[in-house]
Amino acid sequence: MIELKSIRKAYETGSQSLTVLKGIDCIIKKGELVAIMGSSGSGKSTLLNVLGLLDDFDEGSYTLNGENMHGLSEKAAARYRSDFLGFVFQSFNLISYKTALENVALPLYYQGVPRKERQARALAFLTKVGLADWAEHLPNQMSGGQKQRVAIARALIANPSVILADEPTGALDSVTSDEVMALLKEINNEGITIVVVTHEIEIANQCDRIIRLKDGRIEGAMN
Amino acid sequence: MVDRDTWLEIFHTVLSNPLRTGLTGLSIALGIFILVVMQGLGAGLESGVKQTFGDDAVNFIRVETGNAQLAYRGRKPNRSIELHNDEVQAIQNELDSVPSFSRFVFRWGSTVRHGNEQGSYGLRGVDPDQCQIGQVHLTSGRFVNNRDVDQNRKSAVIGGQILEDLFPKGTTPDQAVGAFVSVRGIQFVDVGVFNQTGSRWENRSVYIPFSTAQKLFSNSDVVSRVSIGTGDATIRETRARTTSLTTWLKNLLVVHPDDAEGVWVMNRNEEAEIYEQIFDGIRLFVWFVGMMTLLAGAMGVANIMAIVVRERTKEIGVRKALGATSGSIVAQIVQEAVFLMMISGCIGLLAGTWLLQGIAPFVEHDFFSNPRVDFRSALLALGVLIFVGVISAIGPALRAVSIRPVEALRDE
Repeated sequence: MIELKSIRKAYETGSQSLTVLKGIDCIIKKGELVAIMGSSGSGKSTLLNVLGLLDDFDEGSYTLNGENMHGLSEKAAARYRSDFLGFVFQSFNLISYKTALENVALPLYYQGVPRKERQARALAFLTKVGLADWAEHLPNQMSGGQKQRVAIARALIANPSVILADEPTGALDSVTSDEVMALLKEINNEGITIVVVTHEIEIANQCDRIIRLKDGRIEGAMN
Repeated sequence: MVDRDTWLEIFHTVLSNPLRTGLTGLSIALGIFILVVMQGLGAGLESGVKQTFGDDAVNFIRVETGNAQLAYRGRKPNRSIELHNDEVQAIQNELDSVPSFSRFVFRWGSTVRHGNEQGSYGLRGVDPDQCQIGQVHLTSGRFVNNRDVDQNRKSAVIGGQILEDLFPKGTTPDQAVGAFVSVRGIQFVDVGVFNQTGSRWENRSVYIPFSTAQKLFSNSDVVSRVSIGTGDATIRETRARTTSLTTWLKNLLVVHPDDAEGVWVMNRNEEAEIYEQIFDGIRLFVWFVGMMTLLAGAMGVANIMAIVVRERTKEIGVRKALGATSGSIVAQIVQEAVFLMMISGCIGLLAGTWLLQGIAPFVEHDFFSNPRVDFRSALLALGVLIFVGVISAIGPALRAVSIRPVEALRDE
């Protein structure tokens, strides 16, 4: 599904160049639930952004679903994101003035799906995450756990091959964290590849595999 | 392409922050409002002044006489100068061929009566050419013709206001033609009705044949005024003709060449040009102020757009992560800006028009009347504002989409 070969990435900060990823090699197979762990500054967020086509990389090769992702145009990246990837963020990043249903339906808007169908599918996914009754609520009327479930429904609606979750439980208490992880595992059981970035070992331990990053390199993989 | 989904999306975002939307809209509406009102007041001033001074055509020369101030060739100072029929004939001979020519006899405050109704109006004895020189707009019947003048006929052409004042309510101009009207106690036949648009004094006048007027209402062969049409002659040509006519006429009437008041030869071409220059000045001023207002409005819009886009950086990042292309985001922001500006611009336009129409009945004055909106320039202003708005939205929008989603989404 995902194949990275010696990915390198540096940021220009003023006159200095800071190398964040110093050659990442890894393969994530279809249907895997993988955790990426590392202390802050280890490059885990950058790696996730590269995986999510939200950021480009300098060297190496990235193959997603058998297609090369190097040097994509903005437009092509947007299309691949729309077709293959779903995102879940630490701070949910729901659009505050849209209802839960509209937030979930948004990715389909960018795929040109008709409104009626969008609404129906969004409601189906909200039902799936147990929030059908909250469809018409605005994000600020919901709890953190509920917001994250809406965000997960939004990530799922476009039928992605991979879900990339950046600290999905970072803003949640331990009970809701477990709920969210349970939901992610359920989704994973349906065959969707999930990559979770986290610094909490309890969360990472619930995954099939942990990739540890340190100083821009992978420390070692374990099952 | 703007389909229903796009509209809903626009509505949603525009309405999501009522205060922000309200302030942006207010600055645009106010800009257009001020422009419309300024424009309307300028137009009102112009039409008011034009009504008072400019109800004749402008391509003619007017000859009148007054009091000679200077002694000349044995004649005393401060004497009254008059034009008589034989002198007018001499003028006509001197000019040989002119596009149009009319003599005048005026009798102000003439009682005109029809049935039991009567009123006081201006009486003008004229030649047929006055129809052309005065640009008399006939709504029915005909003007004074040559046979009227040759046969001293008692034909009258009445102004629309007289029709309204003296005839039963609802009488059409056609119905009035052929009716008898009494002018200064003598029966005339109404042969025509005229209506000068936007003119208050003209429509309170009666035209009758010059010869009839002189014979019935004047005890002498004095001519009050002569109007000489200048056709397509240029300002320079009419100016030369005015000068030579003045010299020639002063000689004929024995008036000192330096006398300022004995003989009046007024070139309406030149007067009109002076008015035109004044109005050009006013228009320029109005446009200048309007443009400055627009500029201020546009800067406000640009400013707000920059803030709006900045505020929404994160949202833009989310949308990109969800599959939006940069193009679609820029298009959305621009559409929102245009939509907002169209709506608030139209509100400003309507409010300005409404105000002008509301005050119009209360501000009638000699130099101010009928303030109206120049719709074309208001739309032009709106267009300019939208253009500026789009330009000012595109800048920040492009900057916003050039920010990588990563940075947009970064929490701290």
